[in-house]
Amino acid sequence: MDRNLLEIDGVTKYYGDNHVLKNVSFDIRDGEFLTLLGPSGCGKTTLLRCIAGLEKIDSGDILLKNESIKALPANKRNVNTVFQNYALFPHLNVRDNIAYGPRVKKSMSRSELEAKIGEVLELVKMKGYESRMPQELSGGEKQRIAIARALINKPDTLLLDEPLGALDLKLRKYMQKELAHLQREAKTTFVYVTHDQEEALNMSDRIAVMDKGTILQIGSPSEIYNEPADLFVASFIGDRNISQVTVVEKNDDHVTIRLGSNVINVRCSNKAGCDFKSGDKAYLAVHMDKMRIACEQALDTLKGKVGSIHYAGSQIRIEIDVDGSDFTVIEYQKNECLCGEGDTVWLSWEEKGGVLLPLLPLPGGLSV
Amino acid sequence: MKNRGITTSKIKNNAPAIPVLVWVGFFAGVPLVFVLVISFLTRDSLGIIVLEFSTENYRRIFEPVYLKIFFNSFLLAGLTGVVTLVIGYPVAYITSKLKGRQRTLTIGLIMLPFWISSLLRTYGWRILLDYKGIINNILTGLGITNEPVTMLGTFAASLVGTAYMLIPFMIIAVFNSVDKLDRSLLEASYDLGAGKLKTFRNITLRLTLPGIAGGFTLVFIPALGLFFISDILGGGQTVYLGNKINELIGRGRNKPLAAAMSIAMVLFITLVIYIYTKVSKEEVGGLL
Repeated sequence: MDRNLLEIDGVTKYYGDNHVLKNVSFDIRDGEFLTLLGPSGCGKTTLLRCIAGLEKIDSGDILLKNESIKALPANKRNVNTVFQNYALFPHLNVRDNIAYGPRVKKSMSRSELEAKIGEVLELVKMKGYESRMPQELSGGEKQRIAIARALINKPDTLLLDEPLGALDLKLRKYMQKELAHLQREAKTTFVYVTHDQEEALNMSDRIAVMDKGTILQIGSPSEIYNEPADLFVASFIGDRNISQVTVVEKNDDHVTIRLGSNVINVRCSNKAGCDFKSGDKAYLAVHMDKMRIACEQALDTLKGKVGSIHYAGSQIRIEIDVDGSDFTVIEYQKNECLCGEGDTVWLSWEEKGGVLLPLLPLPGGLSV
Repeated sequence: MKNRGITTSKIKNNAPAIPVLVWVGFFAGVPLVFVLVISFLTRDSLGIIVLEFSTENYRRIFEPVYLKIFFNSFLLAGLTGVVTLVIGYPVAYITSKLKGRQRTLTIGLIMLPFWISSLLRTYGWRILLDYKGIINNILTGLGITNEPVTMLGTFAASLVGTAYMLIPFMIIAVFNSVDKLDRSLLEASYDLGAGKLKTFRNITLRLTLPGIAGGFTLVFIPALGLFFISDILGGGQTVYLGNKINELIGRGRNKPLAAAMSIAMVLFITLVIYIYTKVSKEEVGGLL
């Protein structure tokens, strides 16, 4: 797991005047499931295509097993892609689709190829589909064949471009499990592109959060979820209440902040750092589902007024106004104080759920 | 009860087609029936059709003189198909990669010749190909040849003229199928290790086969009947189906034989269209 398989080194890419990738550098470890996560247009798919060789990079380098591959065309790189629309060849049946790679590269004997086709079909649980045509397959089945077609080439890494995007919700959830399982079974490094945080958090060993052509943070799902490196990551991952607060004073491991009439102690993110001075403006980011409502005041709680209560299936969403800042609390069962609209309540949260972040301009499109 | 429901809905669904069927049936079907009937009749010495049943006309088609005409025509039409494909495919391919105004302009330019009378354009080629024409002037002027080359009145001249006349059909047919080609399939092919040439052969060519077959059919069929081009450019040296039928109806005063040849041509064209529908529907099987 520690060895670096792929090194992305200062990769820059322009489409005309559009600066799509800005000096992107990171490593992909051998055998890991790495997800590039970001909103549409953040450059994640472009980065994947640069690794595949379908796009040329303008500067920087890409090293596969310590060798530069930036000058190699796509067909000479030992990486394979699962395309968003699967791109199965419509005139070839499942067997010939899977056999395409080994045949054009003449990398296997006939009997070896036959055995390998059986092997990869077994892996994706599609045995018996050999003579089906792509148009006779469902979305999930196409997906599996596309993966089998890529894996038969024994790529150093498999690149997956939002492969679950076209599937319905139920199948998507099922395929998430399947893909993670498949990745371990195939012992192949996966680089997975998605804009869906749930997919990323569910499947990945590590997540690289991207925005506007740069990587903002790389880390394990729990790191990304609980220790956001900046405001963008905090607002993109998980549902958070984000409010502007004023720093009263910085202590050793806590910061005292003021929000309206409330003065409380909060922790800061290990990733974003704790560089605050008295009087600084900062953002307090708290996961909606980590918040608790109490009817009595306690230490480090925010006093607020219940605005409205929405019952949405198993969830209850409670809107609370804290001196002009809006908080949404998600409860999964009837809350303790059985508060009603207009009641005064006190908000607290599990230590992990809240974090103080330095003031940065909010990226466009995301509102607080 | 259920059956009746289906029948009425069937009639309802096909109702919009009825006027078209009546139209085509009247203006194409009825004349064709006339031709078919005449092809089994005979004529008198003045060329007037006599109501006397005979299969003589069909027997005559198999005489060497007429077989040769069929052969020449199919050779010309087939080669026209090949020439227009070889020139038209790259044009269509490149056009499909263009965007916006460039694309519209290019398609417009491909269609532009249709605005000018085809007879006029064919005479235009005479000026180019003439013994003292522009091409010969250039050739001798540059010293590439010492003597002007005889181009008019040759098979090649007929071929050039016919191919020129019909190439837009080929380009548009191929363009439509290249344009529909999913580019991610080409990327998938590169990604799986195929180079440009293999990708072209295994994917592009294979998936545009219906367009190629369509273009070939669209070029081949009119090429069989374009008699004026071989008259103007081929100098009537080689006789083709179109010319012969034209001549038999006019100077030859043998409408029944002309009708029989026409029916033979229609049968052959039907065969070509049948093959085309087979090819374009065929989805199974690979080139690998």
